[in-house]
Amino acid sequence: MRFLVLNSLRYRRSAFAGAFVALFCAAALVSACATLMDTGLRGSVAPERYAGTPVVVSGDLSIDLVKRKKDKEKIKHKPVTERPWLPLEIADRLRAVPGVREVVPEVEIPVYLERGSAERSWGHSWDSAVLTPFTIGEGREPREPGEIVVDAGAKPGDVLTARTPTGTRDYTVVGVTAQRLASQRSVFFAPEEASALARPGQAAVFGVFGTASADDLRAALSGTEAEVHKGDARGNAEFPEASAARTRLMSMGGALAGTSLVVAVLAVSGIFALAGLQRRRELALLRAVAATPGQLRRMLGREALIVALAAAVPGALTGLVLAGTLHDAFVELGAIPPNLPLVTGFLPVPVAIAGSLLAAWAAARLSGRRTGRVRPVEALGEAAPGRLRIAPLRVVAGLAAVGGAVALTLTLASVSTDRGAGPLTPLTALVWTLAASLLGPPLVRLFAAVIAPALRRTGVPGGLAAEQLRTGADRAAAVVAPLTLVVALGCTLLAAGSTLDGAAEEQLRDGIKAGLVVGPEVPARDAETLRKLPGVEAVTAVVRTTVRTVSSPYSVQGITPEGLDKTMDLRTVEGSLADLREGTMAVQERLGMALGDKVEMALGDGTPVGAEVVAVYRSGLGFAQVTLPYATVADHVDDPMSDFLLVAGQGVTGAEISAALGGAVGVTSASAALPGSSSANYAALGLIIAFAVISLVNTLSVATLGRGREMALLRLVGATKGQILRSLAWETLPLVLLATGLGTAIALVTLNAYAAAMAGGALTFPGTTYAAVVAAGVLPAFAALLLAGRAALRPRPADALGVRE
Amino acid sequence: MEGMNDRVKAATGHAVALDGVSKVYGKGRRAVAALRDVTVDLPRGRFTAVMGPSGSGKSTFLHCAAGLDRVCSGTVRLGETDLTRMDEKRLTILRRERIGFVFQAFNLVPSLTVRDNVALPLRLAGARVDHARVREILTRVGLQGREGHRPAELSGGQQQRVAIARALVADPEVVFGDEPTGALDTMTAREVLTLLRETVDELAQTVVMVTHDPVAASYADAVLFLADGRIVDTLAAPTAGQVADRMTKLGAWA
Repeated sequence: MRFLVLNSLRYRRSAFAGAFVALFCAAALVSACATLMDTGLRGSVAPERYAGTPVVVSGDLSIDLVKRKKDKEKIKHKPVTERPWLPLEIADRLRAVPGVREVVPEVEIPVYLERGSAERSWGHSWDSAVLTPFTIGEGREPREPGEIVVDAGAKPGDVLTARTPTGTRDYTVVGVTAQRLASQRSVFFAPEEASALARPGQAAVFGVFGTASADDLRAALSGTEAEVHKGDARGNAEFPEASAARTRLMSMGGALAGTSLVVAVLAVSGIFALAGLQRRRELALLRAVAATPGQLRRMLGREALIVALAAAVPGALTGLVLAGTLHDAFVELGAIPPNLPLVTGFLPVPVAIAGSLLAAWAAARLSGRRTGRVRPVEALGEAAPGRLRIAPLRVVAGLAAVGGAVALTLTLASVSTDRGAGPLTPLTALVWTLAASLLGPPLVRLFAAVIAPALRRTGVPGGLAAEQLRTGADRAAAVVAPLTLVVALGCTLLAAGSTLDGAAEEQLRDGIKAGLVVGPEVPARDAETLRKLPGVEAVTAVVRTTVRTVSSPYSVQGITPEGLDKTMDLRTVEGSLADLREGTMAVQERLGMALGDKVEMALGDGTPVGAEVVAVYRSGLGFAQVTLPYATVADHVDDPMSDFLLVAGQGVTGAEISAALGGAVGVTSASAALPGSSSANYAALGLIIAFAVISLVNTLSVATLGRGREMALLRLVGATKGQILRSLAWETLPLVLLATGLGTAIALVTLNAYAAAMAGGALTFPGTTYAAVVAAGVLPAFAALLLAGRAALRPRPADALGVRE
Repeated sequence: MEGMNDRVKAATGHAVALDGVSKVYGKGRRAVAALRDVTVDLPRGRFTAVMGPSGSGKSTFLHCAAGLDRVCSGTVRLGETDLTRMDEKRLTILRRERIGFVFQAFNLVPSLTVRDNVALPLRLAGARVDHARVREILTRVGLQGREGHRPAELSGGQQQRVAIARALVADPEVVFGDEPTGALDTMTAREVLTLLRETVDELAQTVVMVTHDPVAASYADAVLFLADGRIVDTLAAPTAGQVADRMTKLGAWA
């Protein structure tokens, strides 16, 4: 049968070109995503600060959580999000190991060098400059407590006001380093000053010089929390947060690749179904001269696989380039750190090829059942193929998809973590779309019956269009599906992001009762200063971090509980925030934690804490999912300064506050207090929308180009080109309306479930965004239609009719 | 060709036998009976034409006799094989091994050459293609030297010759034609009918042809007249004039 497959591929280039484009894009997306996942799996960040250190000893960089399932206990390892520090005594153990020449303790002090700036530098002791190594480029090293060396942006003799956790003071720049690190700013203090500013008696890491083996060092450290890193692993010790970014790359890459494949299956099965309709007579003939339905299905399957192979190989290679673009975009969106470079391996290529082949095979299966069942009698005589009955199996599959979509929607409505809702949201929209496309022909027929009278009233082209719609429901359904996909997925992805952001903004706006927000990055001492300021009634300091329970990570705000009722309203549902103290916590509702629960969790640096839930609140998006006392988290975050202060008082002005704090920080807008948006996850899926638009254009072109004979016939009986194009447009308009309606309905159902669980029910979806999504689908659709229509009208009608089908 | 000579010796009785065949389309009130209790033997080694006005059921007759469509009651036998009990796959295999088809138009797969179109049933059956046999058949239908052409490069008459060659290639027991000259001009039609006549006379092939053209029917050994789903008349060794005459009278019955 191979001869038949190859011949028909060669002969029906235009129909297969459509499938080719869709599979090419799918392969490119999958290989790009697989490259991102590969980076997540194998990627490593190169050390910067510790580049000149042979061995780095850090604290325990993984959080160990015990998962209890019936009798079994399983330990889950998750990366820390804040650096765990080590006691200075560790240095003594290290120095005792034979071959160790020198042990250099390193401290990391968050420093803000400019007034009102949130750009963080890391402060170190000049003693540890050797870890990079840093050398003096200009001026000299710092010797006195008031002296600093910076890496750029100032010259010796300048005086800078620096904020550190211990307070704000002026430093004189005495030197500028000859080196600068790529992804962080560095400041060096004199050794005594560095010790005073850092956590007492602790070091962030130790740099070990000499010839001692890593194993000997590990042996010496047994019984402590310390870990030994050498080679590339030093990068992980320097950037523990890169580990979380790698996990994120894996999950985002996976979601994107999976969605791409589902879209490819939808798009390609539509195109195959159209191609099957267009060559129905040929297939009927094959059946009549003795091909079994199975042989036809296998033939269609092989055609699909050959097209897929031809498209997937160049597509997968293109994907390697696309991966770079995606990586840059993720860096731009802040989803991954810039110093996590792309790992380019060749494994993604076979993965993408296999994925595309699988998608093509699935598409051929989906469309082939119907095409393969063509009745041999249809080849006989001049009569047009008979009215196609709606395949019962397709309706059953469609109803099953509706069932699946309902189940997913209900699940989505009960998932209130970003981690769960992130991949579930597009999946729900996709399964709804799948259901709509399976039930497409009856939906189109129903719709056609409803609008036919209105169409006929518009004149000859409208009347023609009404007939076409009624009789060509299968073809029409193949066009409706991709536009539905564009609208449904586009609205869902964009509005999911804006809903989250909108709800967060609203909760924050309603939740800040204090008149003034002071920031950014305020030293603890400043909060005390403000509390003593006349007229100030309450000051709430807020620091943001994360915790992890065995089931999920959560965003955290550490707050000072005194006077909270005057500054912050979290919309408490149960319990009271007045009970917030060491050993207690408050949580957002619907996280599976209830009042009175004793929750075991790990702070960002892995320190285990237990706390009893004393309040459940609603405004988790605008503030944080978990609220803990400031004191509980302050010693376990890289930067213990307050992200912002909420200041309530009578007649206190911004100027007074600014003056009281020496002008280093001041009153800012409430939006500065917004937690980081998670919309990056959704924006990344925008590529999928582009892919869906491409498939839409594709499908419409194939559908229109395949109607040359029919258009030629219309012209022979006296229709002008203009009338035919207008009729095409009239015919497409109801399909566009139907698809837009279906897509909007799918998006609304999905988004309402999403908003109910994630954003307390409020859906934020700006009209302009909606219009843009619909335009992104509709305009290319009409452009493709008219261009393909003109191309199909180009041959002289008599010639077009003469072409044997 | 040996097989055919064997068949000539055994040429007794029917190639296809219909016994009490009825076919109803649709259900309930909208049901339309296309064939009503048709019993007929189509003799081996003969050329039989089936005639009738539009809607008389002649297409349905052909579909049922050739195993392309299912009957509602009665039996259809090809030789001694009962087609009414076979599933779709077995029917397909039976068609490609024992039945040939020539349709009015769209007989050929446009992407295949003449040679591949003729060899198509053999290849679909998974048999090794006997190229000498394909060449011989193409020579017999007068298309030597055209093996590498594609259907679009041939005239309508030539395309029908390719279709006949394909119908003959598997050495079938019966060749069914559905208006095989319906789309051709008079001259070309005559050539094609002569070719069909020759396969009966020289190869002892059984041919069953549905037509509405009295001239075409006059090439047959016998004509069956269908009206309203029943066989209403037969005519042996017909002339075009006799056939036209009967057809005119059929109008009164219909």
